[in-house]
Order: sequence, then C-alpha cells, then structure tokens
Amino acid sequence: MAQIDFETLTAHAKSFAGLTPEREALLVEIGPAVSPALPGITEAFYATLATIPATATFLEGRLDLLKQTHLRWLGGLFTGPFDAAYAKAMYRVGHVHVKVSLPVEFMAGGTALIGDRLIAEIDKIYQDDDKLRLEALGAINAILGFSLIVMQQSFQNSSLHEELEKFLKITGMSRNLFNNLAAAYSK
Amino acid sequence: MRADMLTSILQELNGTSADIEASGIISTDGLIMAAVLPQGLDEDRLGAMSAAMLSLGDRTAQELGRGTLEQVLIKGAKGYVLMAYAGQEAVLTILAKPNAKLGLIFLDVKRAAENISSLI
Repeated sequence: MAQIDFETLTAHAKSFAGLTPEREALLVEIGPAVSPALPGITEAFYATLATIPATATFLEGRLDLLKQTHLRWLGGLFTGPFDAAYAKAMYRVGHVHVKVSLPVEFMAGGTALIGDRLIAEIDKIYQDDDKLRLEALGAINAILGFSLIVMQQSFQNSSLHEELEKFLKITGMSRNLFNNLAAAYSK
Repeated sequence: MRADMLTSILQELNGTSADIEASGIISTDGLIMAAVLPQGLDEDRLGAMSAAMLSLGDRTAQELGRGTLEQVLIKGAKGYVLMAYAGQEAVLTILAKPNAKLGLIFLDVKRAAENISSLI
C-alpha cells in the first residue's frame, strides 16, 4: 500500500460524510439495540451477493470467512473508535478488493445493501421515537459514507498502482525512469 | 571533471557534422549527465523521453526477435532523433536536420558512444 496520511484522510472523509462527534457517540449509544440484528444483516448481505452473477464468483470457497470478517466490521460500526486506525483498516479493504479484482461498483453497491438493511432495523427499533430514529439514520448514513470514501480512495490508489506496474513491466521502464519522466512534464 | 569530459565528447560530436543540432548523454533512468543543446530545449524532457524511448525500443527489439538493441531512430518532418546506448548505464541522444546524411552520423554516434562508455 502507498504511504497515506490516515489522520488527514480520516478528517477529510468524516467532514465529507458528515460524521460528527455527536453522531459517533450516537452510533455507540444505539449499538446494544442494533447488535442482535447484525448477524441477520450479514446473512442477508451475502445471500443477495450470491444472486448477483458479477459478485457470486468472488464468494466461492470463502463465504464463512467473509461472513466472519463482515460481521466483525458491522459490529465495529456501533462500537468505534472511528479514528485513523479504523480508516487504515477500511483502506486495506479497498486495497484487497483490487487485489482480488472485484468490480469497482462492488463497494458502493455493498454499502447500499447494508444501509438498506440497517435502515429497516432502525425503523423497527425506534418506531416510537421519531427524533431518535431520524438521528440514528443520519448517523448510520454518515458512518457508511465515511467508510465508503476511505475504501474508494484506496481502491483508486491501488488500481492506479497496479496499472502502472503493468505499464512498467511491459515497457521495461524502471520506476525511477517513470518518476523522472513524470517530473519532467510536471514543471 | 567527468561532466566536462562528457561535454567535450558531445561538442566534438556536434562539430563533426553540421547536420547534428543537439546532443545529450542521459542516465538510463532519464537524468541528463551532459548536454550540448540549443536554447529553448528542455533538458529534463529530452533526458527522460530519450531514456523512455530507448527502454521501449529495447523491449520491442526483444519481443520481436530483433536481438540486442543498437539504436532507436525517429524521423519527423523537421528532422531526426537518434538514440543509442553508451555502455550499460547511459544513453546518447542526438537531434539532426531532416536532410542529414545518416550513414555518417551513425558512425560518429557509434564512436562517441564508445568514448562515453569508456568514461562512465
């Protein structure tokens, strides 16, 4: 992975996604109420992915492991902390997605699927408290947005890196030569 | 000191033929080691582009079964660019006029490349 300033990336992604300290605190506060629904959300998530031809092939032979990882991450959405270490972990997810050649839309599509399920749960849990329901939905939207921004940043960087490596291998150019060529045309 | 000697080889090369307009010695990673260029020509671009072209030429010669690369020649409406290895670590690039006598230039460039190679 490239050298990334995760503090800066975290601040940028939080600001963009609207993940405020108040929303972070609310996510932790509603965690105990939401947690029992999370295993079902993970099951539903992978059941949906299995029906999509473009993603189903990536699940074969490792579904149980993926589900464990997914559930652990899902639980983390309601425990925090949402700091640079969290961003680093999400960044790694984007990088791994490139390594296994997952389609780019997988991350946004997957986030939408999870958001959809979480919205339904929140709606059910807080059906008698409109204010809390709206605030909880806002907080969930923000943490999912934050996570997605970091993953997409990583996906883009890793994709560019892989393409460049291919180019260098094909042309026989060294990394130094490429850097010098780029620098010569950046003036 | 070495840079002066390299520059001297380039000045001599440029002097052998009125058709040679510019010349440069570049490391294989694209950095200029010495150059005798007209004003307005960007040294860094010439260096990086020459090394990149030679690298690509090297790969092309290998892929297409042409053996060890000797030189890369580019012809444009306004003249030639000729690139050749000067040893393992350097590239000699010259710019020549459109009506240049290439046979003589090839010989001069080969001789200069050998001299450069012995210095590097």
